[in-house]
Amino acid sequence: MAERNLKKEIQEKLQDDIMQSALSKFAEQYPGSRLNAYKDQDIEELRENLRQMKHDAVQHIDELADEFQASLEKRGTKVFRAKDGDEVKKILIDICKENNVKRVVKSKSMASEEIHMNECFTDNGIRVKETDLGEWMIALAGQRPSHMVMPAIHLNRYQCAKMFEKEVDHEVPGEDIPNMIQLARKTLRQEFLQADMGVTGANFGIAENGAIGLVTNEGNARLVTTLPRIHVVLIGYEKLIPKTEDAASILRLLPRNGTCQRMTSYMTMVDGPTKVIYKDENGRHVETDRKQYVILLDNGRLEAAKDPVLQQAFQCVRCASCLNVCPIWTLVGGHVYGHIYSGGIGAILTGLFHGVETFHEFSDLCIGCRKCASICPGKIPIPDLIDELRARYVKKYGAPGMDKTMFNMVLNDRGMFHKLLLKAGSIGSAPFKKGKFIRHLPLFMEELTKGRSLPTIAEESFRDRVERLSKKNPSKPKKRVAYFSGCNMDFVFADTSENVVKVLQSLDMEVVYPMEQACCGKPILGIGDREAGKETAKKNIAAFEKVQPDVIISACPTCTETLHETYMKLFENDPEWKARAAAFCSKVREFSSFVAEEYKKTGRLVHAKGGEKVTFHDSCHMKRGLGIYEEPRALIDATPGVELVEMHNCDKCCGMAGSFGMKYQEVSIPMLNEKVKNIQDTGATTAVVACPACMMQIGGGLDKAETGINTKHIADLLAEKL
Amino acid sequence: MEKVCRDWAKQAFGEGLVDAKYWDEFATNAQTAAAEVYKVKDFAAGEAKLKELLAQYAPKEIIAVGGEENPALHDIYERIGNDGTQIYTDKFDIYDHRDSADVGISTAEFCVAETGSLCVDNYSYEARVTSMLPFVNIVFVNANYIVKDVTVACQIIGKVFDKGYLGFVTGPSRTADIERVLSLGVHGPNKLLIIAVENVEGGR
Repeated sequence: MAERNLKKEIQEKLQDDIMQSALSKFAEQYPGSRLNAYKDQDIEELRENLRQMKHDAVQHIDELADEFQASLEKRGTKVFRAKDGDEVKKILIDICKENNVKRVVKSKSMASEEIHMNECFTDNGIRVKETDLGEWMIALAGQRPSHMVMPAIHLNRYQCAKMFEKEVDHEVPGEDIPNMIQLARKTLRQEFLQADMGVTGANFGIAENGAIGLVTNEGNARLVTTLPRIHVVLIGYEKLIPKTEDAASILRLLPRNGTCQRMTSYMTMVDGPTKVIYKDENGRHVETDRKQYVILLDNGRLEAAKDPVLQQAFQCVRCASCLNVCPIWTLVGGHVYGHIYSGGIGAILTGLFHGVETFHEFSDLCIGCRKCASICPGKIPIPDLIDELRARYVKKYGAPGMDKTMFNMVLNDRGMFHKLLLKAGSIGSAPFKKGKFIRHLPLFMEELTKGRSLPTIAEESFRDRVERLSKKNPSKPKKRVAYFSGCNMDFVFADTSENVVKVLQSLDMEVVYPMEQACCGKPILGIGDREAGKETAKKNIAAFEKVQPDVIISACPTCTETLHETYMKLFENDPEWKARAAAFCSKVREFSSFVAEEYKKTGRLVHAKGGEKVTFHDSCHMKRGLGIYEEPRALIDATPGVELVEMHNCDKCCGMAGSFGMKYQEVSIPMLNEKVKNIQDTGATTAVVACPACMMQIGGGLDKAETGINTKHIADLLAEKL
Repeated sequence: MEKVCRDWAKQAFGEGLVDAKYWDEFATNAQTAAAEVYKVKDFAAGEAKLKELLAQYAPKEIIAVGGEENPALHDIYERIGNDGTQIYTDKFDIYDHRDSADVGISTAEFCVAETGSLCVDNYSYEARVTSMLPFVNIVFVNANYIVKDVTVACQIIGKVFDKGYLGFVTGPSRTADIERVLSLGVHGPNKLLIIAVENVEGGR
């Protein structure tokens, strides 16, 4: 396969105004409509119920398959097990030959797309028609669906009308959607009536009785399973569930998350061969049992089902809601994911069914904001599974050279970085600088400042200030706090780090700063290099052990999450380091939640008189990674002279996401622009954040757009009022 | 007519699982899903409502199922035929007129309050084409047979579902595949009219 140019593909999609308008409208409407469909329901209970049911099912996948097959055979269905797509195609062609099949109708099946099923029919001169309206249009145009549930979401009515014209021999006016719908009804009705064979997928398969479930709105699956005299089901092993009543766990969430409906128009269960009526060659009515064939598709599923980490992907019910809330998907659409399954779950399923190599081609497109994980009906930790696949790719092929060299040279060795920066200090005093921002960079670096200003490097790094700041430590401290700055807070936002120290000292904390600390390791762990990540973790753990702190504080939620959670998972097979990591991790706290707790103890966490309007941006790692979002708001509320006004989509990613914002600035900047607009709409004079990466992005965006709105870390806000 | 279960009330509905008290919730959710809902006190009132609806849609041909199992419906179908409208109730006649009929009349086993769904036992071919192919689907259901939610519905189905074809129907056939504009009647009916009978023994 030719090497893909992902950046070029993204650029094209960003310039597709029709798709852009459709996706942004949808992204705006989806979250509210979804919640509305869950009115009066305990969403978390329903999600946990589904997770548990699917989790248990996948542990017994082989037994369920045996039971499902036995149930169907008892009822007269012929069951096949196919290792891969080629085997499925061979089985299908044999079925067609045996039954003299000339015409096939299909209802939507992702598994059939996964193996490019339709090719085998057309190659053998068999007419095959998709019958889901969206899939039908897309297939007429020779395109690929861009969304699992809404295959034609990237198109407008006029483009759809052009596709219709390929099938009917007259002009189709694009203004009139109802007319197009009736045209499709009329055209496809004949396909249904004349088809010899119907092919469906399955939303679930029930082991105890062999029934399959089909969830549709158009009713095409009901016609595909009613009119033709043969029914073929292609079902992935992961769709098997034990009992009929388990279907409820899926049915209470799938329509709500997928299409924001309490239930789709049709939910159909077909169990074994059912009755069909047709006329024989002599024109006589015949009523008989329809022939049913069920093909169980493996294609990598059975191996993944035994993998304790990746098996979680099989808690998926194909609702595609992870696409609907993904800030990247809703900008670039499904096609750039390049394969059948798009979005977060798409990346994972592609990895499982088509290999880590195909996955790797677009795995950059997850920024780890965890929005998808917060709404997934099966509670799949999608970004973690993507990280896992990245790690497996790196284990097989090594880390991308440039990224790794940069990391080892720069981020992993603060001393080296420090020296480099002192040399490069001239950038900071270049004529491009304005206040604390660089608005333009020359030549090849111009891209980086296209939609945002970049902060200048601090004139005095934080590590150079430590000695001076230590002198103000309390003589009888309540606790000994070791400060983990992270890269940004050492060299860029050194003033903010200084404010972190001041706030902690105001709480009678002694603050110490281990100089040998390195980067938290997230950049290298993010690209999947766990071995390098372990070395970094060891370096940090050792550095902090030396100062024997009561608490380890970071004012960067991404660093906090890495130190607190990822380090714990890195040393599973290394008892010595596992114990050292556990001791280290248990001491790690995020700045604002720690300060809020201490304020509360000392009676300082009380409402203060307001004044100037400020708004708060929730960083992804803070809200969805650490679950911290009330504490910074309580701190703002307790700060005199400021008043919190919430912005629209306060917890939507600002677009920085570590190095993503630099590598894919064409995607990052539209995300930033949306954030800037939402901040401006509040009328606030200050945007408060609790994350240095967000601070860099949002601060840069607000400056570039010349909004006059300040950006402050929560530590800055608190220190000002001390 | 072939069915998954001959007698849902006896074999599938457990103690306290179906109740008329869920009517309002069912009706609201069914209407949200674009179904039209009419509650009538008995089959006599149901017949009057049916004739009113038929007058509105003026079908040339009707296909209808459920008469074999339900004498009241059988009689109603006969009277509609006697009044001069073509109505087909034999399975082979239904087959012959499946694509030309304007209205299909069918039955449902019970209602689901949470979603506004009808649970339909569609083992037979004629029940499926009757409810799917004509533009209008009118469904008779017992107004006392309503379950609280999908969980209970699946429990009930689980008790009797050994082989065949059944499911939920929730409003008419719909799509939003073109510009996410809701459009009804893409492959199945674009009207789903529900006549729920309170007293199935009365008014005969």
